[in-house]
Amino acid sequence: MKHFDILIVDDERRYADMLAKRLGLRGLTCEVRYDGQTAIAAVAEVPFPAVILDLRLPDLYGTEVLREIKDCRPETTVIILTGHGTEKDKKACLALGAHAFMNKPLDIDRLLTIMAAIKTKTV
Amino acid sequence: MTNMLKNLLGWMVPRLQSKDDEHLNPYFTFRDYRQIWGMGIFILTTTCLLPLVVMTLVYHQLIERSIDTESLLRTERLASNARRAVTFFLKERLGALTFTANEMGYAKLSAPDSLTEVLRNLKLGFGGLADLSVIADTGTQVAYAGPYNLEGKDYSAQPWFMECQQHNACVSEIFSGYRGVPHIVVAVKSMRPDGRFFVLRATLDTERLIQTLAAFKTGEHAELFLTNREGVLQTPSVYHERGSNHSSIPVPPFAERTRSLLATSPDGQPIVVGYAFITTEIVPTKFILMVVKQKTGMMKVWLDLGRQINWFFAASAAIIGLAIIMTLTFMVTKLFQADREKARTMAMAEQNCQLASIGQLAAGVAHEINNPLALINETAGYIRDLFSIKKQYQEDPELVELIDSIIEAVDRCGTITRQLLGFARRFDVQTQQIDLNSMVADVINFHKKEAEYRNIKIHVDIPETIPLIETDRGKLQQIILNLVNNAFQAINNGCFLDIQATMEDPGHVRLSIHDNGCGISEDHLKKVFEPFFTTKKEGQGTGLGLSITYGLVQKLHGNITVQSKVGEGTTFVITLPVQIEKDSES
Repeated sequence: MKHFDILIVDDERRYADMLAKRLGLRGLTCEVRYDGQTAIAAVAEVPFPAVILDLRLPDLYGTEVLREIKDCRPETTVIILTGHGTEKDKKACLALGAHAFMNKPLDIDRLLTIMAAIKTKTV
Repeated sequence: MTNMLKNLLGWMVPRLQSKDDEHLNPYFTFRDYRQIWGMGIFILTTTCLLPLVVMTLVYHQLIERSIDTESLLRTERLASNARRAVTFFLKERLGALTFTANEMGYAKLSAPDSLTEVLRNLKLGFGGLADLSVIADTGTQVAYAGPYNLEGKDYSAQPWFMECQQHNACVSEIFSGYRGVPHIVVAVKSMRPDGRFFVLRATLDTERLIQTLAAFKTGEHAELFLTNREGVLQTPSVYHERGSNHSSIPVPPFAERTRSLLATSPDGQPIVVGYAFITTEIVPTKFILMVVKQKTGMMKVWLDLGRQINWFFAASAAIIGLAIIMTLTFMVTKLFQADREKARTMAMAEQNCQLASIGQLAAGVAHEINNPLALINETAGYIRDLFSIKKQYQEDPELVELIDSIIEAVDRCGTITRQLLGFARRFDVQTQQIDLNSMVADVINFHKKEAEYRNIKIHVDIPETIPLIETDRGKLQQIILNLVNNAFQAINNGCFLDIQATMEDPGHVRLSIHDNGCGISEDHLKKVFEPFFTTKKEGQGTGLGLSITYGLVQKLHGNITVQSKVGEGTTFVITLPVQIEKDSES
């Protein structure tokens, strides 16, 4: 079974692909999903150490996806990356077990720091 | 004294409109409050006073009518009584003469001395008789008793003798005759046994008659006198024509009974004339009894009543008028104030509405821009990563620099969209007890170094009586920080900044931040809370600071206003509730 470091869930295809490529350059293998249901299915199939999750998805709201992922694999680190996150969303996500709440445009260095921390934890 | 007058004027005339209200004009319900006031006074005064005026007029008319009726009646009664007295006076004497003539007969009466005896007896019985004479049917006086010796005189041509022949008796007019003293002749005809007739004649003093009339004179304004049917005065009166003995009151039309009528005296005074044509049962006379009364003197009570009614009317009208004016002044002032308050709320709502719609627009724009922005960011980031990782690009520092400038620009855009979203959105408010004094001190701390460096004096006056307020710490901090920042940018070195807190009412704290900086022009003042409005040079400010502050104050259920004068400084005033009402949060 192929190992992935990160699952990127975002309905903006080009954005998700670009982020995957960029992280790939940094040596992180990424899988991409464009909606909530397939993302949940992917997590159920393969364990991902980290998931970068958008909130506004075509089928489900990000918090729903987050809950499913946490139900299925509680050890997964979920990082919320959204364009229009409110304080309310932030509170809700952190309460559901999200590791971090980040706004678009992404601060890549912050993400890399988080990823580094996960790696050291898993190793 | 002048103060009292001013106060009184304040109660009477509403104070409406002020220069500051001009911008509220489109929101006023009515245009002209002074007109409403004037119309109200006119309508109310008319409706209230009209019945009073009508009542007073009716009353006056009633009084006038009563005066007329009453005075006519009274005069008529007086004339009637006087008539009876005069008639009785004449009838009595005629009766006595008739009795004497018939009882004694011609022979006895014409005998010498016996007439003197009769005169003496009659004088004893009645008085007022001057003389007595017996006249034969030829008109020659055959016997005489009295002070003048008039025996042998021929009366056949005298009108009274002829009348006596015709009517068996007669009463003459008052005349002076042979003796030059005014007198009345009373005569009765009697038959002699031989079928011829004789006349017994008596002369009466007019003095008795005048006295009889005078007894009926009641008061100064009444006058009783006798005239003949041609209007010649028979007894003295003030109503005589100058230089003649004619009465100045015209002769009234004949009436059998006593009558009275309204007339005007020669000197223009309203008078009441009562009159009666004197006639005895024995013989008619030429006398007309006249009673003249002055209307004004007679009806003093009524006139006094009329005057009292006038006073009552004037006082009532004044009180009603005053009450109406004061009530309307009060009502119209209240109406105006309520309307002004409404207009102010409307104007404020309009501004809020504008800001809200601008906010919504800003949020929409921010949402839409954010996604492509994120893509640009990631793409540019990827390119930079490529450059920094792949060796062939590392040699080209210009490319890396270009990419960096893209990312920096995206970063700035990201900051703006985040701030825009912050302005538009209602975040949850987390309340806690906050000491305003320590919070302001914290904020001032940020600027301590700058203030020292620029020699800016900061004066904080927050009394200890200001209670802890329950609000969102972060938001309040940001509000104060934004306003202090704003002030620091507006003031020059050596100026001052004044922060004061007072209680507006038990439920609200008022925090004012005043600087003596450059001030804001009137045009700009209206726009300071709008997003993207800035007076700074391009690139130095986003123009979101005050609009975010505005949004934050709204979130804390507060209110922010600004006052400024160019060159004198600016004051921002925030009013915050001591406790945010939970149920109004959404």
